[in-house]
Amino acid sequence: MKDHIDAVESNNPGGEEELQRLLAPDVDSLPLSPPSAVQSNFVSYFAPDFMKPGHDQYVYRHANGLCVIGLAPSHVAFKDKVGVTAVDFNVGKTDRSGIKVTGKRKKVFRIGELRCLAGQRFKEAMLLLICGSNARHFESNSALCKVCTNDASYIVRCCVKGNLLEVNDRLIKQPGLLNSSADREGYIAIIMPKPADWLKIKASLIDIEEYKKLKEVC
Amino acid sequence: MLNETGDTRVINDCEAAATAAKVSFSDDARRMIPGEEDMRILSDAASKVSPEAVKDLLSLGICIGCVFRLSWVRGHIFSRPSILLSIFNPVIGEPTDSSTHRPTRIEENKDPGSVHSSQVSECEPVICSICLGVLQFTYFDDQKMLVKKDSADELAATIANLVKKEGHEFDDFSLEVSIPSVITENENVVLFYMKKKYGSEQWFQEKTQSERISAKDALKLSLCSPLEKLLGVKSSVSSTFRIRLTYAPPGASRKNQNITEKRQECKRRKTGAENSFSTVHGSLIYGIECSEVTTSKADAGIRKPSDGLEDHENSDCFKFLLEKVNQPCHLEFHCYRTHIYIGGRYLKYSRNVSQTRWYIDDERMGEASVEIIGSNILPMCLCDNYKFHAAGREDINVRMLGSGRPFLVEIQNSRHVPSEALLKEIEVKINNLENKLVMVKNLKLVGSHGWSLMQEGEEEKQKQYAALVWIDRPLTDEDIEAISSSKDMQILQRTPIRVLHRRSPLEREKIIHWMKIEKIAGSSQYFLLHLCTQAGTYIKEFVHGDLGRTHPRPEESRHQLSFDVGDLFLVQKVDATN
Repeated sequence: MKDHIDAVESNNPGGEEELQRLLAPDVDSLPLSPPSAVQSNFVSYFAPDFMKPGHDQYVYRHANGLCVIGLAPSHVAFKDKVGVTAVDFNVGKTDRSGIKVTGKRKKVFRIGELRCLAGQRFKEAMLLLICGSNARHFESNSALCKVCTNDASYIVRCCVKGNLLEVNDRLIKQPGLLNSSADREGYIAIIMPKPADWLKIKASLIDIEEYKKLKEVC
Repeated sequence: MLNETGDTRVINDCEAAATAAKVSFSDDARRMIPGEEDMRILSDAASKVSPEAVKDLLSLGICIGCVFRLSWVRGHIFSRPSILLSIFNPVIGEPTDSSTHRPTRIEENKDPGSVHSSQVSECEPVICSICLGVLQFTYFDDQKMLVKKDSADELAATIANLVKKEGHEFDDFSLEVSIPSVITENENVVLFYMKKKYGSEQWFQEKTQSERISAKDALKLSLCSPLEKLLGVKSSVSSTFRIRLTYAPPGASRKNQNITEKRQECKRRKTGAENSFSTVHGSLIYGIECSEVTTSKADAGIRKPSDGLEDHENSDCFKFLLEKVNQPCHLEFHCYRTHIYIGGRYLKYSRNVSQTRWYIDDERMGEASVEIIGSNILPMCLCDNYKFHAAGREDINVRMLGSGRPFLVEIQNSRHVPSEALLKEIEVKINNLENKLVMVKNLKLVGSHGWSLMQEGEEEKQKQYAALVWIDRPLTDEDIEAISSSKDMQILQRTPIRVLHRRSPLEREKIIHWMKIEKIAGSSQYFLLHLCTQAGTYIKEFVHGDLGRTHPRPEESRHQLSFDVGDLFLVQKVDATN
């Protein structure tokens, strides 16, 4: 480690002190507890009782328009002592975890060129072929996945109409992420809505202050 | 061919022509009027050509310069066509076809005593069927006026005046000439004819392996020395200052594209021509059809493909093929300096300055951009515009500290090459701007190799950063030790959410070479994280995890810390690997 520091010094004589000075923050002006990355980069919205009572979900909207969907802390699944034990993406017509949006956004796949990789499920392959943008258009009430506790299972829905860009497939192997950090590593999916669609759905969402009041969550 | 009286008469005529035409020759240029040495060169050249061939070609409407070129004569003889003609005067005598030729304008200015020259010049066509006047120094200028110069010297004088008007400073120059492709096509037609007619003659066969000088090179050769004398500097291929002459065939230059295309079409359609005269006629008609379709001025000198020329050609038929040309090319003159690169390193002290000018929906993002470097260089170098290139980039809210980021400013058409002193002045000026947002170091001229240095800099190097980080519990010594001991940690980064809307979703593997925690006095939860990473790593996401989408490879068991980024600084290390 020392030689790296030396390397900087020898190439930047006298500059090292200057650098230290520039880097050192003004401690007194630092807040005791700074906002988290999520808090700084997203605006939090909530969809309480989405389609069913107790199915509380969040929608974190980034400045660039992307929406991260997940389970709000007051979701009925968390009422269970043990919490979430499994996550299943095989809902609706296709297995959502098969969605892998590749880099080639503009490529149009043709049914005639369908190739299944060994072991790949036919349904997943079909999903990849379906539309030109290689990302699936979903309605707000489309199912994303099913979260299971010991006793029950609950459907998680998109909440926002748009292109489904990503699902958090880590949840398959690590469903506990929902219990420990549903608002971060336990996110469910990322959706890109069109501006008009966002405005429509935004009207039915509530902000964090309203949510806290509503659900008496601190 | 050549006799003593011919020599003296030539010299007298030239001097008379000079005074009569009242060309503003400098004393140096006057010495270009052939002295003994030049006459020796000329007579040597003259001995290489066949007088019959010369007469024949002249009668076909080809200028004397092109006649000599096609006879494999090279060297500095193309500057004054009138001299070349006068060599042949005794042989040529009366003009054969007065309808094709008429006295050139300059004759009107001559003294009666040099009526001899006027007879000579009458042999030459007004506009050459091959070079369209290029080697006759005849052209339409940008005012669409017909201009005829007597010699390369005169044309050089006009060019030199135009150059001086542009106000460039230069130590050398490079002359570029562009002539229309139709000239080469015309030449091929004539070469084919010559081969058919003279191929069996000795003078032709002796030379057939040598190379002929092209019209373009002949022009450049004749213009180079006078330009050097008039501009006072040498010509050099590597010069950044370019003088460009562009000849366009008569008729709108835009139509030129159509003409070439149609000609290509004609060529394509003419496949496998049979050995018959009728085919020649057929293609001749085709050629005319093509020309009429594309432009109203059929005297654009459109040539037929030489595919159609077969054994039966004689010079009568040939005259059909070489249409009479009565309009020269348009000459466009342009001088400019090619790109010059100024390189250096920049530092960015502001968290509100983007690297390049950035607008979203007409709204300016950030209060300035690093391109103010370029906008400060522009007026000092008197150039037309600039392009800013940097080796890598940083976000608008990330500072660039340490030794700085390499950049190149490409300036276009500067009126002079900036000196070291001027660059120093620019550096001082930028560094003393009021708001001190950006600083530059080591500003200097770089050659084209600077470009490859930049690209290397982007891809291969390791980058060093410093991030202000906060954790939700006091820092322990174990934390510090765990961080310091991790070397070359492999991480996987999915495309960060903050750029996912405009970048392809990919998973990238990156390496964090080393990390070091620097405690901050007065706080147990804030600290500086110094790290050195592979180029292209998203630092913010590495620190805060991006909802778990950036993480160490699962195989790596690392001491897990939960960090939130409070702030991010950027430091550039001078590479120990270089």
